[in-house]
Amino acid sequence: MDTLSSLSNDLADAVAAAARAVVTVNARRRIPSTGVHWRPGIVVTAEHTVRIDDEITVGRPDGRSVPATLGGRDPSTDLAVLIVQDADFPVAALAEPVSLKVGHMVLALGHGPRASCGVVSALGGRWRTGRGGEIDQLIHVDLVLYPGFSGGPLVDTAGRIVGINTSGLSRHLPLAIPASTVTRLGEELIKKGHVPRGYLGVGFHPVRLPATLAHSLGIVGEVGLVVVNLQPDGPAARAGLLLGDILVAVEGAPVRDAGDVQALLGPERVGRPVRASIVRAGALIEVTITVGERPRPGR
Amino acid sequence: MSEVEVHADARPGRGRLRDSLATAAEHLRRITARVETQGRGVGSATIWRPDGWIATNAHVAHRPVSVVLDDGRRFGARVVRRSPDWDLAAIKIDADGLPSARIGDSDVLAVGELLLAAGYPFGLSSAVTAGIVHAIGRREASTPLRWIQADLRLAPGNSGGPVANARGEVIGINAMIAGGLALAIPSRLVERFLRSVWTEPPWTRA
Repeated sequence: MDTLSSLSNDLADAVAAAARAVVTVNARRRIPSTGVHWRPGIVVTAEHTVRIDDEITVGRPDGRSVPATLGGRDPSTDLAVLIVQDADFPVAALAEPVSLKVGHMVLALGHGPRASCGVVSALGGRWRTGRGGEIDQLIHVDLVLYPGFSGGPLVDTAGRIVGINTSGLSRHLPLAIPASTVTRLGEELIKKGHVPRGYLGVGFHPVRLPATLAHSLGIVGEVGLVVVNLQPDGPAARAGLLLGDILVAVEGAPVRDAGDVQALLGPERVGRPVRASIVRAGALIEVTITVGERPRPGR
Repeated sequence: MSEVEVHADARPGRGRLRDSLATAAEHLRRITARVETQGRGVGSATIWRPDGWIATNAHVAHRPVSVVLDDGRRFGARVVRRSPDWDLAAIKIDADGLPSARIGDSDVLAVGELLLAAGYPFGLSSAVTAGIVHAIGRREASTPLRWIQADLRLAPGNSGGPVANARGEVIGINAMIAGGLALAIPSRLVERFLRSVWTEPPWTRA
């Protein structure tokens, strides 16, 4: 067959295959959004498109409308999970996490199905959203996310789902949340209803360490984080941290900015101890802080 | 990157996509005409038959018009019929043996299928754009398609130009841009309109 026709058939087949797990999400006024049947009875969608908590309905690929309940939401990664009772239709077939390359042709799907085509325009490593959510890989796509496409799948030319599209995390370029992040956070959301974030209850400001001090204490790094704010009765305060303490290492690894500390505060760390190396009054001391769970605003 | 990938074109099968895209684009350009109307700017049109029958939008074909072919030939054209309701117009030029559209079936499109469109966006030189079928906006399979919704980047001036499938068959003519989507009139409707023009004499009305 002609190359162009075979590409065309591949694209149409990819849409048809992926669309079997694509649903309409009616959880806001006016424009419905899109969701993906991630695993039996669990639909994933974009959190910013879930504006009502009650009377959510999901339109199955066969056109039937079924009730759904909100299983959990995480604004920081723009993910929400819905629990659907009548879910006897296929779940998403996921692509290998490493398979994506810049320039690969990809499709974005909306409920209907509707489709939009483009390419992977940029890939990056692990990143943190403006609201503190941790996402395994940065996936920028050069395609149009039409109204109602948020929460729908990004699909490769074999019809496998690469991630969930959203216009809610970046104002400029459409982004996809990789499937591995969706699976990881989806589990947390189903278990807890939210994604717990580790929290120390402390505010830092980076400072340069005097070379003589660093040398005499045997500190590797040149920079420390001075404690400028301490949440009363927060995890750090309870561990005995004081204003003016300088954090120089966490778990034995030197810290250069608050991001190094943030990186150690994933959902899995909540309730577990971290070893903090601190300079106080010219001496190096070790403090063990039990990571708390960040209080959620408005809850 | 490996040595093999650097010399990608040496691999069997590579370059074929590029060549078939170029071939399809070239064919599409040749069947696309430029429509100039006095004081109303420039639009596009699709050469439907070798004997000079050309289809375009009613909103493009304001009388009098002249038609410029891809090879540069310019014709004074007669607007035989305009249907503002369907946004279709039939134009006739005195020519024969023109490169003309192979007409495809607009009722068998699939979402995601590759599409190519040609036209004169902003009245500039002829341009080809590629995209896919965005949605089949049809409630039941038995009802004929009213619009082809395409994920294609078009501009004013593309109106009246052809949209073709991957086999190079024209499945519609561009008519509108709405919310970033291209809306095209399905070839079946264009065919029906043209047949009515041909079978309802006299098309040479005073």
